[in-house]
Amino acid sequence: MEQQLEKVLSEILTQQDTVGALVANRQGLCLGAKGNINPNVSGIGMAISEQVAKLEPNSTLPATVCLYSGNKRCVIQKDGDITGIIYKQTTPATATTAATASTSANN
Amino acid sequence: MSDDIKKYFNDLLQKVSGLYVIQIADRDGVPLLRVSNSQEKNVDFALMPSFIPTFTTACDQASKLGLGRNKTIISMYSNYQVVQMNKLPLILTFVGAEDCNTGHILALEHQVDDYLEEIKLAVIEP
Repeated sequence: MEQQLEKVLSEILTQQDTVGALVANRQGLCLGAKGNINPNVSGIGMAISEQVAKLEPNSTLPATVCLYSGNKRCVIQKDGDITGIIYKQTTPATATTAATASTSANN
Repeated sequence: MSDDIKKYFNDLLQKVSGLYVIQIADRDGVPLLRVSNSQEKNVDFALMPSFIPTFTTACDQASKLGLGRNKTIISMYSNYQVVQMNKLPLILTFVGAEDCNTGHILALEHQVDDYLEEIKLAVIEP
């Protein structure tokens, strides 16, 4: 039944630095999770996105929240009834590549 | 009941939007702690004498389904939702609006454990 959802989550996990992803419904309940992510964060993630949406009540575009913590990032986006939460972790290798790219761009 | 426990649960109530009541009772339904959002709807039904024992019975029956011990029962009504957690010898009841964030309420389960331990000490016979 949720094969399509699992497929989308697997696709998200193939993106660079992504370590976990989940989707929650309008009740804040986890519809599906893949990778290194706790399904219990679905409710809190949705609560954060709801609070953030109040900053721009007239905006029609879905708000995206990005929380940085050390080498990890948590990206939350609420679109309609569905909220997506993605955990990203910067590995030392990708961080070095990004730093090199930014240095060469500056030069 | 110490004031800091009541203050903690009051703060918790404010954190979840749409949550009306948090009630802690023993398994017979005797209320030990109750915090409610006074501006919100009147949800006195959560204090009805039959409310907690009904949950206890449902919980005992659900535990016989062969899926392990029943921990939580979520009941959705047209105007309310009730989340009851089995923390024997305590029963934790959350009453919120029908569109309240259920996942957020469920995530509170582990946060409240330390405070519940204190209340359990008052309930368990020495």
